Amino acid sequence: MFTSLDIGASALAAHRTRMDTIASNVANISVTRSADGRIEPFRRRMALLAPQADAAGSPGVRVAQIVADPSPFRSVYEPGHPDADEAGYVKYPNIDLAMEMVNMMEASRAYEASVTMMETTKAMLNSSLRLIA
Amino acid sequence: MLIERLLNQGNGPLAAQVMRFAAARHKLLAENIANVSTPGYRNKDLDVAGFQQMLRDRVQLRRESPPGTVGFDDIWTETIDRGGLLFHDRNNRSIEQLVTDSAKNALLHNLVVEILRKQFGSIESALRERIG
Repeated sequence: MFTSLDIGASALAAHRTRMDTIASNVANISVTRSADGRIEPFRRRMALLAPQADAAGSPGVRVAQIVADPSPFRSVYEPGHPDADEAGYVKYPNIDLAMEMVNMMEASRAYEASVTMMETTKAMLNSSLRLIA
Repeated sequence: MLIERLLNQGNGPLAAQVMRFAAARHKLLAENIANVSTPGYRNKDLDVAGFQQMLRDRVQLRRESPPGTVGFDDIWTETIDRGGLLFHDRNNRSIEQLVTDSAKNALLHNLVVEILRKQFGSIESALRERIG
């Protein structure tokens, strides 16, 4: 029965990581330069989930990898922008705010579902413990 | 052994097996909910109808057999695919179904726990030779 709690905890951690990548995408939606100052837009990141099967035999879910989205950057015509190319276009990150919002809602619902499951597990454990008392 | 005989009479062993089954099924349902957004994940479950049929058959067999010869410990079912609609990410989730099943399963678990509690309580009061 304690394994069920571990499964729930693995889901909470995975969906929190997913939420972190979404937050990072939204925060960097207009970033046109890299950390060292080069003109390089931020590339959208995605958390890939996979079923977990660790050595202890406790199943659950984990973030298998955080990958960069290879789709093309958004080009916006802004000739006055310091990061514009010769033709006057600025490359912005390949992030769509609507898509990030939908992903955020999905991650948050999945998180809530796991919390509910953990509450049920606790209620069942408590009722089993009452057998002893 | 007196205690052994006391504990193995009535529906005690059956309730204990149902409790084990509910705990195992809860684990699978928790795993399904944890993997609700995992691409390619197939939802798992235990065969409830099969388990109940096996229990019914065993109860019938127990009635016809001498006392103490038939147990319930070996009754189990294998893990099955929950089936259902396959989404574009090849995951056959149905969150509503999963949550409903988990609630029903928790109720079943609590029910058998109460049955066992009542049974243990009556054994205890018999041992104390006192009611209440």
